Amino acid sequence: MKAKVQVVLCKCCTEMPALLNMERLEKLAADANNVVSVMTVDAICEGKDLASVISDAKQKEIDRAVVFACHKKDISPAIIKAYRRAGVNEFLVELVNMREEVVLPHVNEPERAQSKAETKMRAALARSVMLAPLEKHTEEMKTRNVVIVGAGVAGQAAAHEAAKAGVHTILLEKTGKSLKAPGIIMTHGQLVGASGYGGNFQLRIKAGEKMEDLGAAAVIIATGGGWTTLKGPLAKAVKDAVPLYKFYEQMQTGSVPKGPVVVVDTPDPAGKNLKVQDYAWDDTLETTIELKKRHPEIQVFVVFQEMRAFGLSELAYKEAAELGISFVRYDRAGAPKVDPKNPSALTVMDFSQGELLNIKFGTLVFASIPPNEDNKAIAEALRIPMSVDGAIRRGSIQRWPVITPRPGVFVCGSALFPKSRDVAKVEGAAAGTMAGEFVKRGRIEFGGIVAQVTPEKCSACLTCVRTCPYEAPFIGTASKAEIRLQACQGCGICVGICPTKAIELHNYTDDQITEELSTLLRGDF
Amino acid sequence: MVERKPKIVGFCCERHGMDAVVLSARSGKQYDASVRVVQVPCAGRVDGIHLLKAFEDGADAVFVLGCLEKNCYYDTGSIEGRKRVDYVKQMLMEAGIEKERIEMFNAASSNVWMFPEIASKMVEVARKLGPIGRGEKP
Repeated sequence: MKAKVQVVLCKCCTEMPALLNMERLEKLAADANNVVSVMTVDAICEGKDLASVISDAKQKEIDRAVVFACHKKDISPAIIKAYRRAGVNEFLVELVNMREEVVLPHVNEPERAQSKAETKMRAALARSVMLAPLEKHTEEMKTRNVVIVGAGVAGQAAAHEAAKAGVHTILLEKTGKSLKAPGIIMTHGQLVGASGYGGNFQLRIKAGEKMEDLGAAAVIIATGGGWTTLKGPLAKAVKDAVPLYKFYEQMQTGSVPKGPVVVVDTPDPAGKNLKVQDYAWDDTLETTIELKKRHPEIQVFVVFQEMRAFGLSELAYKEAAELGISFVRYDRAGAPKVDPKNPSALTVMDFSQGELLNIKFGTLVFASIPPNEDNKAIAEALRIPMSVDGAIRRGSIQRWPVITPRPGVFVCGSALFPKSRDVAKVEGAAAGTMAGEFVKRGRIEFGGIVAQVTPEKCSACLTCVRTCPYEAPFIGTASKAEIRLQACQGCGICVGICPTKAIELHNYTDDQITEELSTLLRGDF
Repeated sequence: MVERKPKIVGFCCERHGMDAVVLSARSGKQYDASVRVVQVPCAGRVDGIHLLKAFEDGADAVFVLGCLEKNCYYDTGSIEGRKRVDYVKQMLMEAGIEKERIEMFNAASSNVWMFPEIASKMVEVARKLGPIGRGEKP
């Protein structure tokens, strides 16, 4: 069957005609094979123009479309929805970014831009006829469980938010402490294994002595940080150093610390590697400010190498300085030392002023929350990446601050890096909301642009199984690789790495990419 | 004599790579028109055959633009892409073609200055080395 292509040229108000010769582009499109309709509209992002395009598409019974407009991510939801209503498969609608790739970056060279635009049009038309119609599938979630690993500040906040979405929350708490949170609380519960994919996980949970299997739609990791003691030369000299979280707890019960108080950023200031957990995070600021507010007479020193405070926590600096907390910055060469003969004086080289300071202290507090030891087992069970410092890694700092690269697995709190209780609470609420929304939908959507194996070519070498970040390929019953469609995200890493070229990615096949490439290189500009 | 226009191909990943291209254009940055952008879902999708095919079809320089390695949308995609590029570099050297003609870059979507810089760098490489096979080598 011959393809019927509709070409839509968007003027982007006046930007395109200002640089390009629209008549020449229209003529080029009209002369091309398979093109049945060419339309020029003022702005396709406007409902009126989109409606006229769609009615034209219905009238001429087109089956694929090429739209020359602006950035795909801005316009594609509306356009694809409209074309779907007109009965056009959404994967046959090709959106070409003419505005940001041709018009805006070459405003001083109209002739070259015109030639580039024409070449781009040829390439898009060549690619368009090679596209294949694809289907999206849905699968019902078997349960509505959100399993939260860790019932600390972040975990409890996540449970409260997730429960608002009407899902079942199950909190796993490693210790036996009693707490109040919506849902089921499994004390002495630990996550030891998992299989499945976002939406339908099968978790293996160790509850006390017995093992249990639990279905879950989403998992939130809120394991928090671990525990540590003072290390290195400092540990030999000072015997009664207090970790920051314990110091905070003691302060809550009303005990008055012996002043002056020195807060060191890490348990091992002379250590070789400075991990992200060894920075002074905003939990240090939070605790010292509270201490100073309760007991203004106590002198407080914060000794640190790197200080990180997020967002509005920056204001805590100002507050701390106004309250009279002294900040001493050091570098590795001038790390704080305590002479064992005089265990109540700390010697540190002030990096900013180049001065050797001798601080007499009553209490030494160290402020590191090391990565949790359970992180490794959890990351291996759920197959999510860890950071070099031993914490859980999130997908993308800007886009997905509480989501891991694996769909359906969320992360919050000090499992990422140390943070204050407020920030952990907010992150927990965010992760809970995301997980709640994810599970509330009740089904997962998959398919579309995914990888597919040609069994005849596959030699079951396991390269794809090892490379895929989502564990989508597996060796099936026929001893050939198969793709678990629910897990496939359509990145095509397995396609590029397959030594026998047995895998292909729908709509990004080798033929389609090389055809587009050759057409682009044929143009002279 | 009319100056020869170089041909440069850039494989840009659909995530941070393409976002960097779009953002640089929206902030009014200009770059040489000879850069042809081919969109791929991820830098890991780029295969050796695409890179070599580009040279075969007359490209003077080829680059791959992916996400930052520690912040890749598909986790390991840009690392895989870099491996692929290094592999093709090896092949080019064996064939007697300058390895500078192919390069891998990483950009965050907010790096406005990145794409014009990459473009001018690759254009310079293409101008300096000239068309493939017409270098100073015997």
